[in-house]
Amino acid sequence: MLNSQLFLKRYNSLHITPKINSFIQRLFSAEAEEKIEIPKRIHRGPTDILRALEATISRDPTAAHYKYHDDPYLIPMSNMGKRTFAMAQESGRKAAHWIRKEHADLFNHREADPVIKAFLPVVSFNEQSDITEDNLKQVIDDVLVSEAQLAYKLLKDKGVDISEETRQALLELLCYTNDTDILSEEFIEERWFRQTTKSKEKQRKIWKDNSLAEEIFISIENPTAETYSAMIQGMCKYFQVDKAWHLYEESQEKGLILTSDAYSSLLRVVNFLKESFEMKWALTEELLQKMNEAKVKPNLTTLNSALHSVSTMGGGKNQKDLALKVLKEFKGLGIEPSLGSWYYILITFCKERGPISTVLHDIMPEIENKEHHCLDLSDTYFFVTAMDICRSQLNDVELGRRVHKLLHFGNNYNLIGDSYKESIYYRHYFGLMMNNMPFEEFMQNIYNMLVPNIYVPEPGVMAEVLKQVDLNGSVEYVAQLWSDMIIFDHINRENLIESILNILDSNKPEAESNLIEVFSCIAWDLFKRLEDEGDNRFNKLRLTGDQLGKVMILLLWNKDFQKACLIFDKLDQEQHTIVGVPKIEALSMFIDSCIENKMPSRAIACLQYCSDSGFPEVEELGVKIHKSLTLDENNLAKLTKIAGNLS
Amino acid sequence: MLSYSRSFEKFLFSNVEKSLPFSIAYSTEVKKEVKEEFRVLNLKNVKRQTQPKRAQKQLEALPPRTNKMPVDQDWGSVWPGPRSFHPASVPLPVRQGYVEKGVAPDKYANAELIKIPNFLHLTPPVIKRQCEALKKFCTPWPKALENDKECEKHFPIEVTSSDYCHSAPTIRNPLARIVTIKFKLSSLNLNERAKDKFLRLVGERYNKETDTVAIVTDRCPLKKQNYDYAMYLLTACYHESWNVEPWEELKSEADMEYYDWSKNASKKSVEALFGKQTEDIPNVKEYSEAVSTLMNEGESEYSVTKYGDSVRKLLGLPDAPKT
Repeated sequence: MLNSQLFLKRYNSLHITPKINSFIQRLFSAEAEEKIEIPKRIHRGPTDILRALEATISRDPTAAHYKYHDDPYLIPMSNMGKRTFAMAQESGRKAAHWIRKEHADLFNHREADPVIKAFLPVVSFNEQSDITEDNLKQVIDDVLVSEAQLAYKLLKDKGVDISEETRQALLELLCYTNDTDILSEEFIEERWFRQTTKSKEKQRKIWKDNSLAEEIFISIENPTAETYSAMIQGMCKYFQVDKAWHLYEESQEKGLILTSDAYSSLLRVVNFLKESFEMKWALTEELLQKMNEAKVKPNLTTLNSALHSVSTMGGGKNQKDLALKVLKEFKGLGIEPSLGSWYYILITFCKERGPISTVLHDIMPEIENKEHHCLDLSDTYFFVTAMDICRSQLNDVELGRRVHKLLHFGNNYNLIGDSYKESIYYRHYFGLMMNNMPFEEFMQNIYNMLVPNIYVPEPGVMAEVLKQVDLNGSVEYVAQLWSDMIIFDHINRENLIESILNILDSNKPEAESNLIEVFSCIAWDLFKRLEDEGDNRFNKLRLTGDQLGKVMILLLWNKDFQKACLIFDKLDQEQHTIVGVPKIEALSMFIDSCIENKMPSRAIACLQYCSDSGFPEVEELGVKIHKSLTLDENNLAKLTKIAGNLS
Repeated sequence: MLSYSRSFEKFLFSNVEKSLPFSIAYSTEVKKEVKEEFRVLNLKNVKRQTQPKRAQKQLEALPPRTNKMPVDQDWGSVWPGPRSFHPASVPLPVRQGYVEKGVAPDKYANAELIKIPNFLHLTPPVIKRQCEALKKFCTPWPKALENDKECEKHFPIEVTSSDYCHSAPTIRNPLARIVTIKFKLSSLNLNERAKDKFLRLVGERYNKETDTVAIVTDRCPLKKQNYDYAMYLLTACYHESWNVEPWEELKSEADMEYYDWSKNASKKSVEALFGKQTEDIPNVKEYSEAVSTLMNEGESEYSVTKYGDSVRKLLGLPDAPKT
């Protein structure tokens, strides 16, 4: 849009060095009589100003996340939409990366000064390329796993000697990534929407045996402690525990001192090495003892690994005592627990089927009103677990509010994890608040603030909201909820449709209130939407006879006879495909309206339908029709045929 | 073999299962078609009538989010940075543009509103808030420097340079190297002769009206170098103007660029006339000034009259008769 470059011009006085200053002072006649103290410049980083300005902005609940375009046509509405929109952007980014890789020769212009490395094509090697160890170092620094593997192989084929340092760096890279390329940090959306929480699935051996990492390890003649540490860490990370233990023993025989991270990774997999609770704990103690003997200083990772093992160890009451003991021991060493450590404490104390524990009450004062930084991978699990416990174990609104406040303190929101954890967190928060707050207040303060831009309720949560509407009789919210359900793509959920119709049906508004009209609009919209969905949709939701009857009642309350007729036509024509029949109240109401509108043939058709469905009230209705309408011969004959003798 | 056949069976079965709903769908379609029109045998592959278009699903959009905005919302968070106008995000009933008859068009689909730059991100409360946020980077103003006069006295040199921020791949701008220093000539410790020499050295860099000297340096590639160079120039000029070269002594009256009464014949004749030193003669100052003005600024009615008056005063003659 802006063709011309935007120039921002700033005038500034150069900093005058003291030496020149005194020199210049001598030139000028005026002598400084009183001492002028110019305060020292307050140090600031290159982005500190921007951060300070950013801190003045809070989240606007009416706006979508800033990664989406702020335009009604382009704001994603459902969970699916949010994901699709963001991933589409990411896919564009990936396409650009691919083009840059495929046509690397076209991207060699260097306009930027200083050179921006991210704009340059990524390095690639082949057999002909003149490759040196520096190239290998470069790709290792850039975390390009497959390129590093290729470079290593090429160097080896050429018989180039690789220094010990580079070899160690490559080994560490391969152990960290398990010989596979990892998703670049640039693709934040994919990282955000990727579900990493399937931890149960991941708890199996995925270490690649006989991979390049192992090959390199073997090729090193005199493995140092670092080499062993890297291998042990990699194998533990990808659950090749037996080999890792074997290497550990080998290193101990050689008298090597491993790094604290290697010990931590071993502590993390204690559960795979031993069977019973006692043996597991004994091994944990042994490893910590060995660390002490080797004078290796433990760190936060060691603490979290130990707590992780304790939390999954089993062993009932002992387990809780042990967790606290570990925590205390490490506190004595000056290692402050991170949110991840508290997460492990929480899952140790609050078991799904165990007794209710109030440990979260004791944890909160330790962490409240503080800004937390991500120190350990498990830190991102804290908030979602804490909110879960607030809701399903303690059902404590006040505590839930405190956790929520902590999440929004400073930059703590960064620790929410990913989209999956975020939505679970809000699901629990929603549930907690909904069950413990006056419904009106909940809608005002929670629902309207969070939905739809921060959180889109899942169908299950929506069902709970509708249940609350039903319990509180707050039918005035149904219209809003229905339009939200349309946006969130929930209209194919049978239970939601059922409950919304039930709510409308069982809460007949006063005759004069405008809710009657609103109800009929909702009912008609619901019917129309499900009708128009198209036949080619595979799992199309079909309204049952009962539901259609309810729609008809709602329409008739508003005297929408024409629309009610359409519903009846559908009922009548598709008798064989529609499951169930409407209640007799609906049908009799329809007949009443037919009488009111002087439509004898429709009334008789409805009567016919009633009789086909086998309602015993047919006769009664027939008499009513006969009395209230003047029928011609034809209709009269039909009527007698259906309802028998009417006199 | 057994396992193979079993898997094949499974495959077949699952396939059939999958294709079932499709075949049903197909058959119903055919039935409909038969009902609706008579199918013609098309041998020559003549273009058929265009099939009726499937009704397009209407794109549903949210209502503009201005509907949801509370009256007491925090506008700074809604519109945090500069951007083009958007009707769905600005809850103001603004209008812009001109139509021949009727009112100006409203905000929806109004290109006029998008074209003009807006300052919706810089409302007074936002500016206030941002200033508060930036205060922590500011140091207090030195107490001794209360007014401009004080500042000028203690910091006689004003140094100006520019930084540039623009949307281009490069962060460099050649204009950023230029440094300007400014100072008042009166703040330099110079005598008459040195001042004269200094002014000759700086040439047109001196502004007589404001009594300031401005030195602009841009010959070095870096700002720092240019600044150092400017400081060097100042120092060099200053010391050079105090220097007296041997040839400067040779300056005679003919070389003078202005009339200096004390060095001229007029002074000598006055002294001869009175037989006293100049300092002892009454009213000589007025006379000398009048002569200097006459010589330096040329003859005018004012200067000639002034000269006449001063001569009368000097010689003790009665005033000229008023005409």
